[in-house]
Amino acid sequence: MSAETLRLPRGELVRSRVVSDPATALGAALERGLTGYAVLEPQETLLLDGDAAGVLTFDDGVPVLAYHTESDRGGPAALADLAEPGPYRADLYALDATDLAPVHDTPELEVPPGMPAERLAGDPDLADRTRAAAPDDRLDDADEDPVASFLEDEAKIEAIQAEAREEARERAAEWGLDDELV
Amino acid sequence: MVEVFAVASGKGGTGKTTSTLALGMALADEYDVTVIDADTGMANLLFHAGLDDAEPTLHDLLIEGTDVPVQQAVYERFGMSVVPCGTSLAGFQAADPGRLRNVVADLAADTDVLLLDSPAALDSKSAVLPVVLADRVVVVLQPTIPSLSDGLKVQEYARSYGTGTAGVLFNKVREGDDLDRVADRTEKYFDGPVLAGVPDSDAARAARRAGEPLLAHAPDDDAAAAFREAAAALTVRDGESGDVADRFRSAVVPESP
Repeated sequence: MSAETLRLPRGELVRSRVVSDPATALGAALERGLTGYAVLEPQETLLLDGDAAGVLTFDDGVPVLAYHTESDRGGPAALADLAEPGPYRADLYALDATDLAPVHDTPELEVPPGMPAERLAGDPDLADRTRAAAPDDRLDDADEDPVASFLEDEAKIEAIQAEAREEARERAAEWGLDDELV
Repeated sequence: MVEVFAVASGKGGTGKTTSTLALGMALADEYDVTVIDADTGMANLLFHAGLDDAEPTLHDLLIEGTDVPVQQAVYERFGMSVVPCGTSLAGFQAADPGRLRNVVADLAADTDVLLLDSPAALDSKSAVLPVVLADRVVVVLQPTIPSLSDGLKVQEYARSYGTGTAGVLFNKVREGDDLDRVADRTEKYFDGPVLAGVPDSDAARAARRAGEPLLAHAPDDDAAAAFREAAAALTVRDGESGDVADRFRSAVVPESP
């Protein structure tokens, strides 16, 4: 899967959790100064046994690359693809920096350091801490705003809307609010 | 005339209460405005409005068998009528959220704009009730993917109950956010316009600590100016007070959570 597409050498699993929010995994990677990668599998995959997953690589706890296995997109677009409702299974793998260096020479998959925390997890404080930990040469501006990229994906938005509509109707029935529906 | 707006966000942390009071104060220049803390499980409007020790509150109005007149829980503050909600667990447990409709019906008879500061969730009958009963929602979002997803969900819930969308307010906008492009694309999916982008502001946090709405605490702050711009972009529709009162009274009474 992802690791092959990204040509990531297999790392050593150092943490595996189901988390309600990607911020937890990003925070853990930053805290332990992870050099390696994280595989984030959203709820949908956990429940449906699909293979959609997001892969983020890290250098000293700071995100470098993002890739999404199902959409085959990288960089900020991959973050938008990964934005599914939690929970997520988050597995962190450690790699030797020398094994990771050639992989990181893939500018088209790169994301700005604070972007996963800010846009994927909606956690500006974590984003600030991540940027503070990032080397200066990584602090350039992003080309494409992932929020704008997310909003460009009409099929995804329609899926969110359809799911919410269905949930609203199911819950109205549960709560005895059917008569209020239009 | 009266129009009832539910100020909603889907999740917490977007600055919904700050936004409710800021919109209320700005609209109060032109309209008679009543603000109700409809987040009966996690009330915090009282802290923003310097009403920490207010008694009675909405909780007292929602407890069956108490005969507190609605007007006793209405406090005239900052040019608005403010109905705070208490924060005690006992008050929450004793409150029957279904009685909110009667409270709102009573208040609707005597105001132009009713703003319901709504719960930051859609996971219970009482949480969804403000969205069910309002004429339209004002969706308060941060320009992030999770927040937009939540906002889309709020709008679908509102649509399901025939509640329109008056607009989207982007709050806590940070330097470097590409708000122009995001706002442009947001408007494709929401039934109302993007009302404004309010910059992330230390003044908003200071106002909360001081127990004052932002527009009272720091009227010259950029965020305050943006909230005024949002209020100006919000078109308040004429509604017959009687219609709103009837609609609230006839709404299904949810059980206590």
